[in-house]
Amino acid sequence: MLNLTLVTPTKKILNEVEVEEVTIPAFKGQLEILPGHSPLMTTLTTGIVTYKLDGEVKKASVSWGYLEVINDKVIVLAETAETAEELDAERIQIAYDKALSMLDQEALTVGEIEKLQRKLQRAENRKDLIN
Amino acid sequence: MASLQDIRSRIDSVKNTQQITRAMKMVSAAKLKKAQDRITNMRTYAQKLLSIIADIAVSHRVEHPLLSVSVDTKKTLLIVLTSDRGLCGGFNANINRFAYDYYLNNKDKYDVLDIIFIGKKAADFFKSRQVQAKRVSTNMAKEISYSYASELASEIKEDFATGAYDEVQIVYNEFKSAIQQNVVCEKLLPIDLEKSEFEQSEMSFAPDLIFEPAPEEMIESLLDKHFAMQVFRCMSESVAAEHGARMTAMENSTKNAKEMIDNLTITYNKLRQASITTELTEITSGAEALKG
Repeated sequence: MLNLTLVTPTKKILNEVEVEEVTIPAFKGQLEILPGHSPLMTTLTTGIVTYKLDGEVKKASVSWGYLEVINDKVIVLAETAETAEELDAERIQIAYDKALSMLDQEALTVGEIEKLQRKLQRAENRKDLIN
Repeated sequence: MASLQDIRSRIDSVKNTQQITRAMKMVSAAKLKKAQDRITNMRTYAQKLLSIIADIAVSHRVEHPLLSVSVDTKKTLLIVLTSDRGLCGGFNANINRFAYDYYLNNKDKYDVLDIIFIGKKAADFFKSRQVQAKRVSTNMAKEISYSYASELASEIKEDFATGAYDEVQIVYNEFKSAIQQNVVCEKLLPIDLEKSEFEQSEMSFAPDLIFEPAPEEMIESLLDKHFAMQVFRCMSESVAAEHGARMTAMENSTKNAKEMIDNLTITYNKLRQASITTELTEITSGAEALKG
């Protein structure tokens, strides 16, 4: 069994809960963690965290953050995280459209473009989670 | 001597005030609950973050500009956290007094002593004393969010990294309980890792930790995050303390209003009685006179 903690600065989604396995969108691609994983520390990208709790697969969307695995203890420190129940499809669509239309504008700095792309990615990710 | 009418209208007005203070107390209590929840939620994140930093720190020598301690502090930035609104007892006054004393004591000692005001009350207080602010931001209590804190943190960090300051202090109200708030002054930068509460027993030592990307890169962003978290923590504590202070202040004024109403009611009744007695005496003496 793995001991999973999934927290953000403002939310506690899981705090030291026993799960069977975790899949995480890590810096270098999807990462499946099973009990007995070697100690690891990495960063997360925007994506969907999947974990198996009592045989049931659960999902949560995360954006950027950290992951630490030590002695079957998995700590996910995400910048933002939501479960499917918390999300509102309409609002995500609005955010998605807004980011998309902003990107079409000219005269954006590189930093602004990056910011908008990240926004877009987050919205896409959340849409994926709902569907 | 006040007439019966006067006293009655005073009682009514005190009653109205009492109603307002009671409502404000309820509102503050609800907000306090929310703010407390936020603190508990945040605490887990902060603890885990610190334990990750500690895990790296045991296996790697950590060097980072945010950790570098300069021998001689010459340039200081002071962040003063107050509320935007009043009616919360000594909450703002305590902070202002402390910050002003600090300013007077240290303004000659340092080459640079800049102040950032968060919250309207401190800004107003220092404005009337001709102290220049580097930056003023208000509306925190309404819109306190992690993103706001991290934005502010990254700005401060930028200044610190370029050497504009070699120390950053923050003055805020620490939330002890609903009735107790303490003014504290904390050093935010440079980060003192030794001082942070690393719980030795909780540390899961793993010498062969795999890092992706390299530890140097990670520790940098982790420390940034840690700093942002500290700023956020101070803000959350301050907001919780504000609601706590307001709740207590309103509770007291509700009590005072009740006392006042009781006293006025007694006066009113006494006056009423006196006037009835006078009337009766007049009638009887009138009747006596007619008899005679």
